[in-house]
Amino acid sequence: VSDLINYVILGIPFGCVFALVAVGLVLTYKTSGVFNLAFGAQAFVSAAVFYNTVTNHNWPLLPAFIVSVLIVAPLVGLILDRALYRYLRTAPAVAKLVTSIGLLIAIPEIVKLLPDFDFLQSSVFNPPTIWPNPFAYYHFGDYVLDGNQVATLISTGVAVLFLSVLFRYTTIGLQMRAVVESPRMTELAGINADRVSAFSWMLSSTFAGLAGVLLAPLFAQLSAPNFTILLIAAIAAAAFGRLTSIPLAFLGGILLGVAQGILGGYLPADSILANGLRPSLPFVALFLLLLFWPGLRHRREIVDPLSGVDPPPPGLSAEKRMRLLTYTTWGLGVVVIAVGVYVALFVVSSFWLLIITKAVIFSLIFLSITVITGMAGQISLCQASFAAVGSFGTAQLAQRFDLPVLLTMVIGAAMAAIVGGLLAVPALRLGGIFLALATLAFALMFESIFVPLDWVSGGVLPTKVPRPTFLGSDRTFLLFALALLTVVSIVVILVRKGTTGRYLDALRGSETAATSIGINPARARVVAFALSAGIAGLGGGLLAIQENQANYTANFQVLLGLLWLVIVVTIGARTVEGAVQAGLAIAFVPEILKALGLSPAYQFILFGLGAITYAKHPEGILEYNKRRSLEAVQRFLTRGKQPPGAEGGEVVPARPEPATVGAANPGANR
Amino acid sequence: MRGRRWVAGLASLVIAAGGLAAVVPTAAGADAPSQQFPPVNQPGVTPTEINVGGVTSKTNPLGGDYASAFDGVQAYFDMVNSSKDKGVYGRKLKLTSKRDDQLGNNRQEVQGLISEDNVFAVLPVASLLFSGADLLGQSGIPTFGWNINAEWGSEQAPGAPNLFGERGSYTCFTCASQTLPWLAQKLKAKKIGLLAYQVAQSSDCAKGVQAAFDKYSSSKIEFVDTSLAFGVTDLSSDVSQMKDKGVDLVTTCMDNNGTLTLAKEMKKQGLNAVQYLPDAYNQKFISDNAPFFQGSYALTFFTPFELKQKPAGLKNFQKWMKKDGFAQNENSMAGWINADQFVTGLKAAGPDFTRQKVVDAINAEKSYTANGLLAPIDWSIQHQADPPDGCQVLSKVQNGKFVPSFGQPGKPFVCFQLNPLPDQLQSQPTNKS
Repeated sequence: VSDLINYVILGIPFGCVFALVAVGLVLTYKTSGVFNLAFGAQAFVSAAVFYNTVTNHNWPLLPAFIVSVLIVAPLVGLILDRALYRYLRTAPAVAKLVTSIGLLIAIPEIVKLLPDFDFLQSSVFNPPTIWPNPFAYYHFGDYVLDGNQVATLISTGVAVLFLSVLFRYTTIGLQMRAVVESPRMTELAGINADRVSAFSWMLSSTFAGLAGVLLAPLFAQLSAPNFTILLIAAIAAAAFGRLTSIPLAFLGGILLGVAQGILGGYLPADSILANGLRPSLPFVALFLLLLFWPGLRHRREIVDPLSGVDPPPPGLSAEKRMRLLTYTTWGLGVVVIAVGVYVALFVVSSFWLLIITKAVIFSLIFLSITVITGMAGQISLCQASFAAVGSFGTAQLAQRFDLPVLLTMVIGAAMAAIVGGLLAVPALRLGGIFLALATLAFALMFESIFVPLDWVSGGVLPTKVPRPTFLGSDRTFLLFALALLTVVSIVVILVRKGTTGRYLDALRGSETAATSIGINPARARVVAFALSAGIAGLGGGLLAIQENQANYTANFQVLLGLLWLVIVVTIGARTVEGAVQAGLAIAFVPEILKALGLSPAYQFILFGLGAITYAKHPEGILEYNKRRSLEAVQRFLTRGKQPPGAEGGEVVPARPEPATVGAANPGANR
Repeated sequence: MRGRRWVAGLASLVIAAGGLAAVVPTAAGADAPSQQFPPVNQPGVTPTEINVGGVTSKTNPLGGDYASAFDGVQAYFDMVNSSKDKGVYGRKLKLTSKRDDQLGNNRQEVQGLISEDNVFAVLPVASLLFSGADLLGQSGIPTFGWNINAEWGSEQAPGAPNLFGERGSYTCFTCASQTLPWLAQKLKAKKIGLLAYQVAQSSDCAKGVQAAFDKYSSSKIEFVDTSLAFGVTDLSSDVSQMKDKGVDLVTTCMDNNGTLTLAKEMKKQGLNAVQYLPDAYNQKFISDNAPFFQGSYALTFFTPFELKQKPAGLKNFQKWMKKDGFAQNENSMAGWINADQFVTGLKAAGPDFTRQKVVDAINAEKSYTANGLLAPIDWSIQHQADPPDGCQVLSKVQNGKFVPSFGQPGKPFVCFQLNPLPDQLQSQPTNKS
């Protein structure tokens, strides 16, 4: 029993760390309706400013704290609100989540490029603590706390108390919650929603800044990924608080820390159970909470009741253009592809051939996002894990059973599809951000539990993948990859135009209406999820064959998967050409930046900031601009004539307008 | 033409007759700038230049200064280019391509080096992931780099003969060695704690440590935790258990983040154990954290900068790094050694050098030391197996400084028989220069 008490007490200080972050997440969600995955990035900004002022410029702690937490952090919140989130208040929660993922990727890179912050490009050890004496230890019987732990404990307790009082007993607390529910209805009551929203963002950003300064010394090094990992781990605690209860989130954080302490103490060290469970505990907890925690099972997301009056987004430009333009586009497309293939096969060097092949393979993988996000309207943050399943399946089956590698690639894709289908069954009823978080938890569980196993990933050397003799030449392989991309693209188009696609369209528009006409939402979405996972798995297998190895760290890490998502949704998640353009972007943008003499970090800024346009243009920037150009061209071609479509035969018939991710129906993504 | 062949023939003859170590200065001395050298038709080689390129993980989430390997190469080339020979075989050495693989794009950047950059050799490679190793292996290009990846050669697969790590290419991650058990015995440590991340290289390293203490039972491993998540921040229960079990030597297979987190927790909980640091030779890191690492031991495979009797290689390194204004660290040292190995091979290959000749010349070396920076490397075996002796320098951390320990004047390396591994722990290591 004394051991148990010991481990419980040892777990409490770290539980406070989880609690602090979880309370911050809940605060942001309550006051902005945004499940802010960029919270860690905001925390990093203040931690970096605090480090710079204290360590590099020798400021005393108090002014450094004031600048980093009480000035810079609220300023960041104000900028985010004025420049971004004020325009997204009525956007669906999923769109806000994608925006926050974009910020998560972009903000740290922007900070590193700021003048006087280039020190962040290299190792930055020993982030300073706000406690005056970093070497002070405080003994409580057999237990010892350092100064920073004391500061964290006090700050967390005070924050929970302050925020609970704020929301329960103050007018501004009530107003903040009201603005999140519906800014338009709040304004009808005479409240300045803009001002309240700005205050909310400044408050939550201040909290992020406080968390950043307090938590930075936990890590030996100051780096943005540390905050991201901690944030994701703390989501479990926020989920325990149903994303809305600050006291419960606090309790969830403490429980998580204590559970880690107990597991560390009792699980036999170096056992399979310890190796699997200890590193993945927060993610397993999050996954289980999302699936089974009663508070979350029937929870509605925060959505504006008036958002249903918003008009649905416009349809795809390709479905509206004149027949002449359609045929011209197709003709030009064929010419461009033919020239591209000719150049790839006969002109470019091996290096550019590799880049082009990479673009083709990633286009194929990105079609999986087209299916799950573009067609089904769901956000999956584990597409990279599905690709990894395909990659590992291809490699291991070829190595261990000496099966033909093309067969193992197909089996790998099937394995990914099965995993995707199995994951979908319990997870899909969550919908919206809860589904997104469940997929994120799954991806992290996969990374923590399965990837370290030698029989999965190969150990210190990635498992080798033999390339079939007839694909020995890189140019032949490119042709093969192109053929596969074409086949998968046709399948995706057929599915979109077939029964499943139309069911998904209907479900995106209104789940209630779709169900009322006999559509089984679960079945349609499971099919979409499995198909999406299968496509990702196929792409992963193809990548493994191309690289002669299944390399998880280089290709399939969870954070890379987030980058994939933002690239695709930035460019266009609803069309096959959007996926292809995204594939070209991930392969060519770094090379273009290099040619311009710019840091590769700009790609993260470019794509990260690109993703914030998702809420406004869920069809993607390119699709949006394509539609505008098309409208201009059609106006020019039909000047002086009747509007296109008026005669019926001029225009390729458009399909019924699909709604965007939950825009037309606030409950559609639950 | 005949005259040029004669020069080449003489160089080959001299090499064959005199042995490599003795010959290199002679051959270099013969290569006066005014001398005519045979034309060389090799990628990246012009009548006046030999161009090389490298790839490092300059942009990486760990914040590691891996790109400083370029500085080591550049400083070495500056030294060679400013010598009386003005380069090698009348050609200046130029580092023309510096690629950044951003951690995940190593294969792509390696392909760029091979097919875009027109380089004769690839150096340095200082990458966290070396996924382009097979491309370099197949290409036959002489490649030199920082050996932290299994792709250079490991118990899972031997390395390609044209890949040269800065301390030999082969690393057996899971094999036992005598070093740690001997150190434990020397420190009179009886109870060992072992911590590692739950990632392949780290956990394989832990297997090696366990195998060593299983074989040499001078001390016992009392606590093992190989389930730590990378980036772990809470080691309170681990340290608490180690304290309860009376652990007096803690060894890790972790990066500086992990070792510092551990050191802080040990100090907080009052665990007075020595920490063995296999990957912490970083003066700034140690001096910034002096109170936490007092009495710890750090490992290097090259002569540490603090050595009092510096070999010629170390003097040159420090002189030229200072002259060029570059930082002296483990990565820049790796780059310097890579460049030295390349130039040594180039000179040994003769004035009509080719990539293959350079590779063959290096692989014929049986005692390469980078002018005293390393314990001898036998390239005839160190692509696919451990050398007979495993040598390293152990430095004690005292007041935030590294103090090389257990060596002898002029012989800083502490060497133990490694291949084959003896049944009994050596009572004393062999000291080598």
